[in-house]
Amino acid sequence: MKAEPTAEPPAKPEKAEPVEQSPRAEKAPAAKSSPQFSQIVLSMTGLSKRFGDKVAVDAIDLSVPTGSFYGIVGPNGAGKTTTLSMVTGLLRPDSGTVTVHGIDVWKEPERAKRSIGVLPDALKLFDRLTGAQLLYYSGVLRGLDRDTVVKRSADLVTAFGIDDAVNRLVTDYSAGMTKKIALAAAMIHSPRLLVLDEPFESVDPVSAANLIEILQRYVESGGTVVLSSHGMDFIQRVCDHVAVIVGGHVLASGTMDEVRGEQTLEDRFVELAGGRKAAEGMEWLHSFSD
Amino acid sequence: MVAQFLRLKLRLLGNAFKRSPWQIFGLIVGIVYGVGIAFFAVVALIGLRFADPDIARNSLIIAGSVVVLGFTLVPLVLGIDDTLDPRRFALFGIDNRRLAVGLIVAAMISIPSLAITAIALASVITWTRDVGTTLIALVSALAIVATCVLASRVTTSVAAYVLSTRRAREFTALVGILVIVMISPVVIILSEVDWGRDGARMLGSIADGLAWTPLGAVWAAPGDAATGEWGLAFLHLLIALATVGLLWLAWQGLLARMLVTPEREGRAKKYEGLGWFDRLPANPGGAIAARTATYWLRDPRYRNSLFIIPISAIALTIPFVVVGVPHHVVALVPVPVFALLLGWSVHNDVAYDNTAVWLHVASGTRGRADRLGRLFPALVIGIPVIVAGSFFAAWYADDWSLAGALIGVGIALLFSGFGLSSVSSARFPYPVVRPGDGAFSQPQNTGATMALAQSIIFVSSVILSLPTIGLAALGFFYGGDWYMWALLAGVGTGLLVLIGGVALGSRIFSRRGPEMLASALLNS
Repeated sequence: MKAEPTAEPPAKPEKAEPVEQSPRAEKAPAAKSSPQFSQIVLSMTGLSKRFGDKVAVDAIDLSVPTGSFYGIVGPNGAGKTTTLSMVTGLLRPDSGTVTVHGIDVWKEPERAKRSIGVLPDALKLFDRLTGAQLLYYSGVLRGLDRDTVVKRSADLVTAFGIDDAVNRLVTDYSAGMTKKIALAAAMIHSPRLLVLDEPFESVDPVSAANLIEILQRYVESGGTVVLSSHGMDFIQRVCDHVAVIVGGHVLASGTMDEVRGEQTLEDRFVELAGGRKAAEGMEWLHSFSD
Repeated sequence: MVAQFLRLKLRLLGNAFKRSPWQIFGLIVGIVYGVGIAFFAVVALIGLRFADPDIARNSLIIAGSVVVLGFTLVPLVLGIDDTLDPRRFALFGIDNRRLAVGLIVAAMISIPSLAITAIALASVITWTRDVGTTLIALVSALAIVATCVLASRVTTSVAAYVLSTRRAREFTALVGILVIVMISPVVIILSEVDWGRDGARMLGSIADGLAWTPLGAVWAAPGDAATGEWGLAFLHLLIALATVGLLWLAWQGLLARMLVTPEREGRAKKYEGLGWFDRLPANPGGAIAARTATYWLRDPRYRNSLFIIPISAIALTIPFVVVGVPHHVVALVPVPVFALLLGWSVHNDVAYDNTAVWLHVASGTRGRADRLGRLFPALVIGIPVIVAGSFFAAWYADDWSLAGALIGVGIALLFSGFGLSSVSSARFPYPVVRPGDGAFSQPQNTGATMALAQSIIFVSSVILSLPTIGLAALGFFYGGDWYMWALLAGVGTGLLVLIGGVALGSRIFSRRGPEMLASALLNS
């Protein structure tokens, strides 16, 4: 009998700490001024999807400015994965449009997909390939030639610190390693927009800090990252824009400061999502059975 | 404690009836099957009560040995999902001995265990010939049940524990196939025996041999007593009881080890370079071909068909040879069977990717690159084998002109299968074994698409090859140029279906990417 206490899980601050100690952490993302984000790279209008009777995503409108580090937060089952799948061309929407760099994803999928890099959550990889083969496969499918793929693979392998794993089968990787190789494969064709679903789940804090640094450099050079997570501290620290999705609706979106105001993102999020549930009725847990 | 385990097992059995209709159907089929087998065995055993003791003894030993072997091997090869894996009880802090006893008693409540109990009890009836024999039969009956239940528990645990790594699981699937292959020579040898003349003597010597092994000893003891060989009876009973004792010790030892050993991690192998990716062109089609080739060799789900297809093509000729069909007719069988099975085997290829197919969808891979790339390994294997096999068959039949006709029929069947598969794997994927699962396990929900897709592709590729087969048949009966026409017709219709199928399949793949992913998600 292991009932989880509903109070704040202690794991979150722990996971975050090593990142905060890194030199990158001082650089507050919100310091970027707004004119920098004048262009829109990804826009969704009236995007909807229902599964049977359940409306997963209900007419979402969202614009992601070029060069932003955009976080999407929401409780489990809020429709984050469904939304991101429709953006990347993996799930056909019931209605609404998605445009990436001005190209409609569902009208001209081949052209639009060239500018998108994808890291899906909970989808398998071709895991009977070695890491090196998977990178090569992803690169060539994206239309790169052999020399480019080989060169970029080598760079990515060094940057992600997976040198000792590239010649092993992906199916033998740990969960964190699998995320890393998948992220590397998503970036190999240097897309304009990276869409990452839960990119840092089960990645250790040191690797996460390393990956965030890579992503921040990518954003500085004009790329755009959209990622989903339930780690509020993490989103608040890393992202400059944020959207809160609950029950298939966007409850708030904009720059980090606009959305959170004076509060922490976590407090603001809990307020938007309908308040904290009181942790009562578990008094038996406070006296131990032995 | 034992009562709790029994209740748990009964509850598990009861809950099995709360699942999907198809699973309940399967369960009912299993029960009917088990009850049916047990019923016929019991009737046969009661009938043997009135048979000559020698015949009763020999047939019981042979049939019984097969039963014990079955209880031992089936869990090992099939890797049965163990609901009462000892490791699940590791955290409850139960004493090892009590856990071992409890799990064995709980294992008594299953269809095979109940069936073997009924059979063992019926075997006592067979031997109610005098007091001494009946007593030995009673002890043997208990030993039979204990041997079977313990043996299956031990091998189930071995399968779950020793063979838990991915590589070991793939290895057992191969061993299973090899066993099947090795059984066929035994079948041929047995088919050579003139059963009418010296069948009884043959059975007698097989039974005598088995009686000294742990498989047959337990069945032999009462039979020995009934035929008056009391010394042998006690020796065989001793072997049987020693077997039970050793199995019990093995079970206890295994359980004690499993409780303190976490799941094993396989040692990962290193691969140098990019393998097939280095050898094939660096474009989407080439990369997909390289990926598919890698999977054919590395993924047991593909590798098994790589073994099974040629073996079945050849194995199918064995009955013809045995009943004495002439060589030049037998030679016609393997090549078309091989071509038909290989062409058909790729009809659900996309489903084998499971959700990994998202990469093709997200990268906007063109349908044509995907369709052709996936066919590549099967083409590279198929065409040379068909050509070489046809010449070999022609040599065997002593008629070189046959080679052309066989190549024509083979190509027609293979290419038709590929063409139809290109359409069906994009349009009608159905759930298959997931990557990494045991090669003989089955997906949860297959539904009607599976049966429909399988049979339609199979029948259609035969129908599309009928013109070629007809021309070849004309050549077979009338000679002349018909064989040459069969070759031309085969290559012609085959290419037509292949090109048409790939073109249509490509359009479907390009359009239906998200839908294919959605259907894969149902089985993820």
